[in-house]
Amino acid sequence: MLIIEDAIKEAQEAIVKCDENKAVAIAKQAIDAGLDLVKLLNDGFSAGIRIVGDKFGRGEIFLPELILSAEVMKKVTEILETAIVSDSAKEKKAVILIATVEGDVHDIGKGIVVSLLKTQGFEVVDIGRDVPVDKIIEKAIEVNADIIGTSALLTTTLVEQQKLEEELRARGLRDRFKTIVGGAPCTERWAKKIGADAYGEDASDAVVKCLKLLEK
Amino acid sequence: MAVIHEVASGMGGIRTAGDLVARVQMSKAMKIKEAKKYVAEKLGVSVIDLSDSYLMKELREELDIGHVQVRDRASYGIEAKFNISKVLDIKINSVENFKRKVKMI
Amino acid sequence: MSKFFTRMGDGSAVFLSEAEIRRDLEEGMLDAADRGKIPELTDDEMERLYQIITDPQKTVSIERGNEVVMTFDAGTLKLPVRAGLPVDRMTTVLTHERVLCSDTMEIGNADYSYKQLKNIVHEEAASMEFTQLNCIIPVFYGAMPNMGLYTKPDGPVDNWSELLPMAKIGEARAAQEEAIEMAVKDMVYIASILYEAGADGINFDTVGASGDGDFLATLKAIEILKSKYPDMAIEVGMAGEFVLGMHGQLEYDGTRLAGLYPHEQVKVVEKAGGTIFGAVINTNSSKSLPWNLARAVTFSKACSEASNIPVHVNAGMGVGGIPLTNTSPTDATSRVSKSLIEIGKADGL
Repeated sequence: MLIIEDAIKEAQEAIVKCDENKAVAIAKQAIDAGLDLVKLLNDGFSAGIRIVGDKFGRGEIFLPELILSAEVMKKVTEILETAIVSDSAKEKKAVILIATVEGDVHDIGKGIVVSLLKTQGFEVVDIGRDVPVDKIIEKAIEVNADIIGTSALLTTTLVEQQKLEEELRARGLRDRFKTIVGGAPCTERWAKKIGADAYGEDASDAVVKCLKLLEK
Repeated sequence: MAVIHEVASGMGGIRTAGDLVARVQMSKAMKIKEAKKYVAEKLGVSVIDLSDSYLMKELREELDIGHVQVRDRASYGIEAKFNISKVLDIKINSVENFKRKVKMI
Repeated sequence: MSKFFTRMGDGSAVFLSEAEIRRDLEEGMLDAADRGKIPELTDDEMERLYQIITDPQKTVSIERGNEVVMTFDAGTLKLPVRAGLPVDRMTTVLTHERVLCSDTMEIGNADYSYKQLKNIVHEEAASMEFTQLNCIIPVFYGAMPNMGLYTKPDGPVDNWSELLPMAKIGEARAAQEEAIEMAVKDMVYIASILYEAGADGINFDTVGASGDGDFLATLKAIEILKSKYPDMAIEVGMAGEFVLGMHGQLEYDGTRLAGLYPHEQVKVVEKAGGTIFGAVINTNSSKSLPWNLARAVTFSKACSEASNIPVHVNAGMGVGGIPLTNTSPTDATSRVSKSLIEIGKADGL
């Protein structure tokens, strides 16, 4: 008989090893055994994803594995959610709109952040690179974003993040969205100075900060 | 930033023997200690002298391998590099190019 | 309890107690040792780092005899482009040679990627020829492999940064493999022309910025260049402290490239024929200078000890322990300089 402790351990392993068959089997067995599925989802599969994120940040696993783990996670979440009666576990996914600011065509780092955010269950709307502030705001309203994330790799384009904050304030929209900033020349100090809600030191940190923003 | 690094830990370029040690690192992929030893032996000085701008000024002028101060009739640019190539017994790409262009080789 | 003036990783001032500094030094050093699976610093080295951090002098320096040579990435971008001085590149090189007393210099184009140079390579070569006639110090030509430029919309290849988040892993890997070949061709073409124009060396800068494919393309280009020009000096400056696995399965001579740390990166560069290795250790802007410096020195020492070729640790904005700011404070920069050389055993910066 499957017990919750073993299921949690195996769920973590299945995610870390991107083993879809094993993950799906555990989810189904847990449903049949009447285990606490919310606990399995949080302490097992989601914890596995956190381990994957940490390993990625240390250069121990790579982007393709990260994506595969996220795909496995998506599959088991669907299975478990249909069986979970409690509505509390079926919270609406947070929507994050993400863009590289106008004048900046660097999107590799942003792509990694997008991938990591997806592993954590965020609905990510990536509107690309070289995106003007007007378009960022327009799109954020359209998709009803919870968080707006902007990336700037150049010291010369960093100022666009400030422009976004100013524009949100000018349009009376500042309280509607949480904002997070990142990119090579960006710092915590810069985020505070321009009035952004959070700063991501790297991709893993950005995810942690986005999760924290949702708690506020 | 370059200036601070230079003050804190740099050899001093053509004021001393910085360019020469760099050349040897580049042409022989030598670690810093070996590169300095190689240059010191070729110049006939001790390793610590390589960063002494007083001593190296005299030596560079004597060997006519270029120095920060412009002196008439002293070698400059590619001329100085011809002499550096001989002193250090290494090939310098631009010097070889020059020789080819003026049909020296 | 007395406090010592030091810096945060973003360059801002902070006062920390002895216990706080020692704790940060220890944590930074252990983080490097743990991530890189490399030896920890000795007690003596940690004590020395503590003395360097808490030295009351504003600017510290190495002991006489420990001087090293410097190479510069983005060399001629600094005076005419970033500082906005109305000088040409040859004047920039000569200013570095005769006024700033740099040991070496580098000519580079403002659009600093090999792919972007194809249309102007002969003008670049002429510029190198003129400069070589007038300068004494060794002059590199440098640019970045920047493999991302081969992806749509900048290039012909599908964009793996877009494919990966869509879980199109096979397609993303195929796109990278296609771009590698294009990048190799461009790097070899540009480097050959600049070397034949008299460059003393070629610098591949910010290698791995587009992931492990970027690194593999550079290694392949080095192999070809060294077989064409055995005397060519090649410097490889990295983009980050570990190779980002955008592909994840690429290998060079049996070594998987993704996830390699500096002491492992240098071995493949050495095998490919690289002459100087520019190690990079990322600065964390939210941590203190003691934390970042101890971490950088631990990586640097392991890298230098593993290497048979000279290691020039990158010590510019946001790397090597240098704070993440355009104008890194003198106190922090000089402490980084001294520590990387005297404890981190760097052969140059």
